[in-house]
Amino acid sequence: MNIKLNGYRKKELAWLYLFVAPPVLGFLIFGLTPMLFSIFISFQKWDMISTPSWVGFENYIELFKDEKVFKSLFNTVYLMIGIPIGMALSLLLAILMNRSIKGISFLRTMYYLPVISPIIAVSLLWQWILNQDYGLLNHVLWNWFGIKGPNWLGDAAWVKPSLILIGLWGGLGGNMVLYLAGLQSVSSTYYEAAEIDGANGWQKFMRITLPLLSPIHFFVLVMGIIGAFQSFSQIYVLAVDGGPEYSGATIVYYIFQHAFKYFNMGFASAAAWLLGILIFIVTLIQFKFADRWVYQD
Amino acid sequence: MNKRLKWSSLVLLATTMLVTACSNGGSSNQAANNGNNNQSSKQTTQTVSDTVADKDPVTIEFMGHGNPNEKSIFEKLIASFEEKYPHVTVKYTSVPPGEYSQKLTTLISSGKAPDVFYVGGSEFYRFAEAGTVLNVQPYLDETDLFDPDNVWSQALDRYRYDGAKVGSGDLYGLPKDVGPWAFVYNKDLFDDKGITPPSAVAGEWTWDDLLDAAKQLTVDENGDGKPEQYGVAAYSLESAVWANGGNFIDYDTGQVLVNEQAFYDAMQFVADLTLVHGVSPNVEAEQSMNGYTRFLNGQLAMFAMGPWDQPAFWELPFNWDIAAWPASPTTGETATWLGSMGFAISNKSKHPQEAFDLAAFLSLDEYGQRQNYELGQAVPNLIDLSKGEFLASDKAPASRQVFLDIIEDYGRPDVPAFSKDTQWIDLFWQQASRVWNGEVSAQQFTAEIQPKMQELYDKFNK
Repeated sequence: MNIKLNGYRKKELAWLYLFVAPPVLGFLIFGLTPMLFSIFISFQKWDMISTPSWVGFENYIELFKDEKVFKSLFNTVYLMIGIPIGMALSLLLAILMNRSIKGISFLRTMYYLPVISPIIAVSLLWQWILNQDYGLLNHVLWNWFGIKGPNWLGDAAWVKPSLILIGLWGGLGGNMVLYLAGLQSVSSTYYEAAEIDGANGWQKFMRITLPLLSPIHFFVLVMGIIGAFQSFSQIYVLAVDGGPEYSGATIVYYIFQHAFKYFNMGFASAAAWLLGILIFIVTLIQFKFADRWVYQD
Repeated sequence: MNKRLKWSSLVLLATTMLVTACSNGGSSNQAANNGNNNQSSKQTTQTVSDTVADKDPVTIEFMGHGNPNEKSIFEKLIASFEEKYPHVTVKYTSVPPGEYSQKLTTLISSGKAPDVFYVGGSEFYRFAEAGTVLNVQPYLDETDLFDPDNVWSQALDRYRYDGAKVGSGDLYGLPKDVGPWAFVYNKDLFDDKGITPPSAVAGEWTWDDLLDAAKQLTVDENGDGKPEQYGVAAYSLESAVWANGGNFIDYDTGQVLVNEQAFYDAMQFVADLTLVHGVSPNVEAEQSMNGYTRFLNGQLAMFAMGPWDQPAFWELPFNWDIAAWPASPTTGETATWLGSMGFAISNKSKHPQEAFDLAAFLSLDEYGQRQNYELGQAVPNLIDLSKGEFLASDKAPASRQVFLDIIEDYGRPDVPAFSKDTQWIDLFWQQASRVWNGEVSAQQFTAEIQPKMQELYDKFNK
């Protein structure tokens, strides 16, 4: 670097580094260092109070022997059923909200409300709603439709559908806003051209709206899958000790239990890295296939 | 090329976000931890000598958890402690129970352990093994604050550690309380039906009597198949198993014993209260309204309680009393568990003498113990106080002797008390719902789960 910098340029650079420093340092100290340290810890046996001992790959090998790992992975993947349903519903909502009627901003706010509500409070609320005997949902099912509602959170077969339901309700608003932005960026010229060619509403939706929203679909899908892999708080509140027969435990919940209940930090770090690698691979595959269906302007 | 770079950096970013989110717990500092073990032996011997002579102001940190009642008792106790020891200031922190264990472990691993803190069964084992908690035996032998013979040995012995096992050896902690898990009944419901209530004397009232009474006390008024009033709820499996001569585990050999007949017969008996006889709420009914609420509402005849439930039960509009747990007809014996929480002193405390004085004061001071039982928090740790004024108190329950019987006679340490890792027993409880809901028999279930429990126990406890 033999480029001479004049005083003004130097000063500007100094400011630049000053402004960039806090987030970079923050990441290095609170992000990267613990991350690297957790690799190191994942090869050890450590309960946070006694001296760590080196165990090599034992933690990783143990992971594959524990049936709870597979059970919680299965649960996690099961919860992803909610992603396509959520995408369809939030797109529908976005289309309904994408028009100028009176009070539309009020409605949009209403649908967005769950996104900004604290997840713990929301989960506690759902715990009441889903109560078998006294809950609102089963009450409505019985009084309006004559259906005897299941024991949502107490029956091993119903815990996951309940969690999906809650996830849908909570995630709808956020995705709706994304779709709304997408819809508004679709140029009206395409629709005009299609109308001239005699396309009906359905054809316009299938051939114009849906494909042009593909970057949004892609974003929602990728974030949805990562979010599903990471889901924890609602499980922590709604599925005590992993729920009946461990039916509600996700992989992060499993990691949490090992880290902060049993204090097997090495084992938990190994599990966290396994999950990290898994998500990396899944996301990589998604990006690999993205070229085939995502339109870029 | 540029596009690819953009994508891959996005992937990297997403993964980074994830991994950091999961691993932030594993990152506490390790250096502080390394110094932990080798100090343990030195410190104990050294500090006993330089005791109360110097009166420099000293600050002791004390961390606990509990309900607001407990907190206010401790605030009062600490105030009177500070009066008695004017040179000591106590910094008391009360943490929500759910966060306590995490918070404490993090503080310990980062070298900032409070001087005095609560410690429970399996945690105590891990701390003692790791050398986190101070051996208080030397202080105990010196002290004239109390007479160790006047403290329930059943409570003290929980805090002994001999270098390998909990239960014998030197003391590494003092009991905060003893928690006898008692059988409680709604006296009014029994009187209304003219049924003789359960006896306070162990062995007189059996499972057959229980079933008989429970059947009469289960009432389905509107005939919808869901009784409004149940006979019994949350019947303690531990009590049933032990009464029947079974056991969860033999801690001496490390053998998990759930697949023995005495065990699965007892488990089946508890399950059949719901499945066959319908006198106890099933899993679903329990989930929609738990036994505790049912009992408070007067919709449940028999239930279980610890001494800490007294304040809530004193408010009840009906009469209640405690009794001995029903005895197994096969053995004629009865049993239940006896919980305990303790005070431990950090091995790294700079003022171990003052810390010990505080722990001893909180654990055994007569004034404090009196406050504690009068507010319905616990049975006193002091034997003479328990057998004297505690027993004579005219507050409910009338059969207070039952609490003492459990402590002295048929109470046993709760199952996880002597294991440092509880995964083996947690697995059992997680899967037990298959028996409670009738999916499999207790015999089949215990046969299936025993090897898995054994494996977990061997892996993490040996």
